[in-house]
Amino acid sequence: MNLKIEKHLVDGVSIVSCHGRIMFGEEATILRDNLKEALSKSPKMVLNLAGVTYIDSGGLGTLVGVFSSARAAGADIKLTGLGQRLRDVLQITKLATVFEVFDNEQEALAALSRGVA
Amino acid sequence: MALQPITGPTSSPGSGIFPTLVFVQGNDQRTINLDHTPFTVGRKVDKDLVIADPRVSRDHALITSEDGQFCVVDQGSKHGTFVNGERVQRKTLERNDRVEFGVRDVAYVIFHPHHASSNTAREFLSQISGIQISTDTTDLEKLTLFLEAARKLNTTGVLDEILVTLLDATLKLTRAERGYVFMRDEEGNLRLAAGRNSKGEPLLDDTTISHSILDEGVKSNSEFVITDTSQSLDLAGRHSIVAYDLRTVICIPLRKPQVQATRDVQAAVVEGAAEVMGALYVDSRFASRDISSVSNDILRAIATEAASLIENARLVQAEEAARRYQQELSIAASIQQGLMAVSIPEVPFARMKGKNLSCKEIGGDFFDAVNTEEGLAVVLADVSGKGVSAALLANTLQGMIYSQLTAGMPLIEIVVAANRFFTHKHIGEKYATMIIARLRRDGELEYVNCGHVPPLLVCNKEVIRPPHGNLPVGLLADATYESDHVSLHAGDRLILVTDGVTEAENARGDFFEDSRLEAVAGKSNSLEDIFAAVANFCGGTPLNDDCTVVELVYSG
Repeated sequence: MNLKIEKHLVDGVSIVSCHGRIMFGEEATILRDNLKEALSKSPKMVLNLAGVTYIDSGGLGTLVGVFSSARAAGADIKLTGLGQRLRDVLQITKLATVFEVFDNEQEALAALSRGVA
Repeated sequence: MALQPITGPTSSPGSGIFPTLVFVQGNDQRTINLDHTPFTVGRKVDKDLVIADPRVSRDHALITSEDGQFCVVDQGSKHGTFVNGERVQRKTLERNDRVEFGVRDVAYVIFHPHHASSNTAREFLSQISGIQISTDTTDLEKLTLFLEAARKLNTTGVLDEILVTLLDATLKLTRAERGYVFMRDEEGNLRLAAGRNSKGEPLLDDTTISHSILDEGVKSNSEFVITDTSQSLDLAGRHSIVAYDLRTVICIPLRKPQVQATRDVQAAVVEGAAEVMGALYVDSRFASRDISSVSNDILRAIATEAASLIENARLVQAEEAARRYQQELSIAASIQQGLMAVSIPEVPFARMKGKNLSCKEIGGDFFDAVNTEEGLAVVLADVSGKGVSAALLANTLQGMIYSQLTAGMPLIEIVVAANRFFTHKHIGEKYATMIIARLRRDGELEYVNCGHVPPLLVCNKEVIRPPHGNLPVGLLADATYESDHVSLHAGDRLILVTDGVTEAENARGDFFEDSRLEAVAGKSNSLEDIFAAVANFCGGTPLNDDCTVVELVYSG
């Protein structure tokens, strides 16, 4: 297991922080389960990936899968803490246009409280 | 110690235990029973093994048998007979010897002496079921007989056969009328696995046994439970005992054998807590004989031996299942390789090359090439994830794209159709990144990059990475796609790679990265050099992901 996930609730928003690698298989499964659990408590989430050193294709699939179903269910997830590598991956895959990416947690939280979709 | 005379059927010598030759020719392989000698090999059609190749002489060689040894004898062939690469006139064959007749490496046979293991056990089975235990056989002799059976049976892998033999042996040793083996299923319920009576007939119905004693036996910590109903006063609720006139019931819980421990108190505690995997149950009726006096030593021996016997049989079965699964996987891998074996179309205006290195037996990368009036099309895709699931999707996607490229469909339509297919089928979080490109005769290149590593355009040693791109295929149902156009000049190269290349890791955890890829692609015209650079960089660290590189050179 190369992924650690921390969750806490701040003013009705789930803040989920990941540390390690998000890979196809065990890590992706743990991430999916954690995100779903957090979404069941609050439809608003900030996902902080600052501690993520690597994400492979399977991990990315999990992220997009959770985002798509969350969005369909009316939930709102903001991404923050993307390293250069993740930014590159999102750029290559053009997923930067799908995710809402913010430079830091404060901006992501502010966007959520403004209700910006 | 001599056993009692065996009166059971004896097998005819050599029946079913022939040595075999595995004949391999190209991709074909078949097993030939060496059921007679001399066994003839040659080009003539009347030979036992006919090899239709001009380098094989008409009467090439013989395999003879002498004193139980098998020998290959050359018949004065022109191109010779070889055993393990060495030319021979006459040679005694050993297990796994590779014999070649004239044609080296194209066709050969591997010699296997008979596989005796399962046959001896089966022979023993037939013997043991015919054994008559004389009345004066001592308990010790019976025990030895049983242990012998247990040892021999460990070589077979058939659980049912073992259970039946176990019952037969137990019935003979205890002189009980009926015997049953119950095994726990996944929910922990006891299920009838085998039943036999003392006449050797199968018993398929367990309704006439005492289930209360069976349950009691399984729950108890004892090695066995003997209930002699003639001594027991409390038969209330023991429905079967009354209804079916049962006199003696013996229940032996089968406990999973524990790792050998020293016989101290602690070991005894562990043994008591051992998981019960089933039970052996035997009984006899009032009208029949009394079996309550059966020796405790025998019951104790049965209890331990039977459990380890069954556990061993289960392990063998699990191993067999794993072996079959492995076989299925390797079949899947060869199908996958067959699909990956792209026949690259020859066109006057371009050259194409592709190479794939899989990190597991089967993977999610594929490339394909199709030439139509619209131009030479190439696709390189990488399905997310690894292993069988990725390969399944890769093959489906490959089929879809191949047929649409062959039909000359516009690239965008192909990509949109693939995306629709993936997103509508709800196949979880699986998706594919891919590049699909079509090069026209006049050098006009159209391509669609769907979330894939950007291609390398090498023009005069200058490496260009076009920023064009779209979403991967299969992630979002409403994704839209656009293509990009480039005009190629003679000598320009388009290099497509999967991220297994750029993300190949060395021992320090560094990636090969785009920079190294661009450096080697700009310097060299050879695909091999790219793979060599990756291997050199990784320095023995195994690949995490499939690596595929495809190169398209416009020759004008």
